[in-house]
Amino acid sequence: MTMSEKINYTKAFEELQQIVEEMEQGEITVDELSDKVKRATQLIKICKTKLRSTEEDVNKILRELQSSDDDR
Amino acid sequence: MEKYSSGICTFREIIWMNSDFYSRKVFSLFDITILIQETIAIGFPDTYWIKAEMNKLNHYPHSGHCYPDLVEKRDGKVIAQMRANLWRDDYHRINDLFTKIVKEPLKNGIKILFLAQVTFRPEYGLALRIIDIDPSFTLGDIEKEKQETLRRLKQKGIYDRNRELQMPLLPQRIAIISVETSNGYADFLQVLQGAKESWGYHFFHMLFPSVLQGEQAVEQIIFRLNQIRQVIRHFDVVAIIRGGGGDVGLSCYNHYDLAEAVACFPIPVLTGIGHSTNETVVEMVACENAITPTKLAEFLIQKFHNVSVPLQKAEETMHDMAIEVLDQSKEQFLSEVKLFRSVAIGLLSGNNHLIRAQAQALSTHTKLLISKAESDVELRHEGMKKEAVEVVSRAKMKLENYQKSISILDPVNTLKRGYSITRLNGKTIRSSDEAKKGDQISTSVFDGRIFSIVDKTDKMK
Repeated sequence: MTMSEKINYTKAFEELQQIVEEMEQGEITVDELSDKVKRATQLIKICKTKLRSTEEDVNKILRELQSSDDDR
Repeated sequence: MEKYSSGICTFREIIWMNSDFYSRKVFSLFDITILIQETIAIGFPDTYWIKAEMNKLNHYPHSGHCYPDLVEKRDGKVIAQMRANLWRDDYHRINDLFTKIVKEPLKNGIKILFLAQVTFRPEYGLALRIIDIDPSFTLGDIEKEKQETLRRLKQKGIYDRNRELQMPLLPQRIAIISVETSNGYADFLQVLQGAKESWGYHFFHMLFPSVLQGEQAVEQIIFRLNQIRQVIRHFDVVAIIRGGGGDVGLSCYNHYDLAEAVACFPIPVLTGIGHSTNETVVEMVACENAITPTKLAEFLIQKFHNVSVPLQKAEETMHDMAIEVLDQSKEQFLSEVKLFRSVAIGLLSGNNHLIRAQAQALSTHTKLLISKAESDVELRHEGMKKEAVEVVSRAKMKLENYQKSISILDPVNTLKRGYSITRLNGKTIRSSDEAKKGDQISTSVFDGRIFSIVDKTDKMK
């Protein structure tokens, strides 16, 4: 999986919480550890990026508003 | 009416109009209005408490006077209407008190209980001069409207609809309904900007301008909500923000249409209307209500914190836990290795010991076995020797016995003792029947033969 994957913020956060919980409860084996940590780091990155950015473009929204007005 | 407006009269009509032109008592308009004025003054000498709906306030800012249109409706139909006067000084006094109590200024479309004098002025006609207005009546009416709105929302089952929407984990994209110049809007944006500078939280917001109080607010806010609905996928929440407007003009937020639009909005609606009076219906049905725009922005930032803090913690936990798990495993592994080594050594030495003991036993037993075998062999050898001698002597004895028996049987020995063998033609004669007179027979004795001829045979009886 890559950073560009389209994962819903809420889903990412939930998955992250689950991994942390598993770790805290010592349910992670050394075999899984590397994968889980990798995944968790990725999720943290996704969440943090989302916290610090939005992709919305005012102009796009205004155009959409314009076109929906025209439809009427 | 049409007849007169057509401007054309028939000849007959002209005659009729002129027939008693000089015989009638004719009043000037002024005369008649004076008469009416006097009659009214006599007929309505007092002041009266009247309740009515103020359809229009008709306030003229230049003169400061108001000319309210008063109506009474029954089943939606106007059954009475009248003009009123509210003079400038009365207006200021009454409006100040009214606004203080009702939290709304005098405005179109409210029900009022007022004290009035019936007046008639020749130049202006009939009017009620408003001397006082009882604000508590209107307050009750407004409260009634609020209660009615609540009742209808609950009856329709939409009261909780927006409140029950799940607030997004990250309410990041905000459609703001506010006024660009409002202090509340500025406060709100300032707090969000602060969050960006302090924590790097990025909000996206877009203003949908609308009047936020007074009569036009209902229609304008609903219009903006509908607009937002068209681009709803770009937004997480809607924020209705008003600030710096005091407590006046908020009854629009109790209006059923607006309350319904908010309650039924598909994404959470947040309100930061900023006032100190009782919650309005819109605030009650909104998913989240903050008392001021600043508090609303803080609420949103808190939502970001709620996510950011666990993230931070997750990062730390991840790091700590990974190290802990590794350390633990390493420790476990090392102790396993230690245990393995000691067990292995123990096993080896134990086995070594056993093997040595076995070897010892083996050699001992071997020696024993060999010596036993040797003595056995020795014994056997002796026995064999004895046995062999015995066998030989036994055989010798047997042989001697045989010899004796054999010698006894030898015919020579028998012949020696006087026995002889008689043969005829070489054949041994055992019976007297076998020879007859004249037969030449030979008799063998110990040391030779005697030849004779048979004289006679005699058979023993």
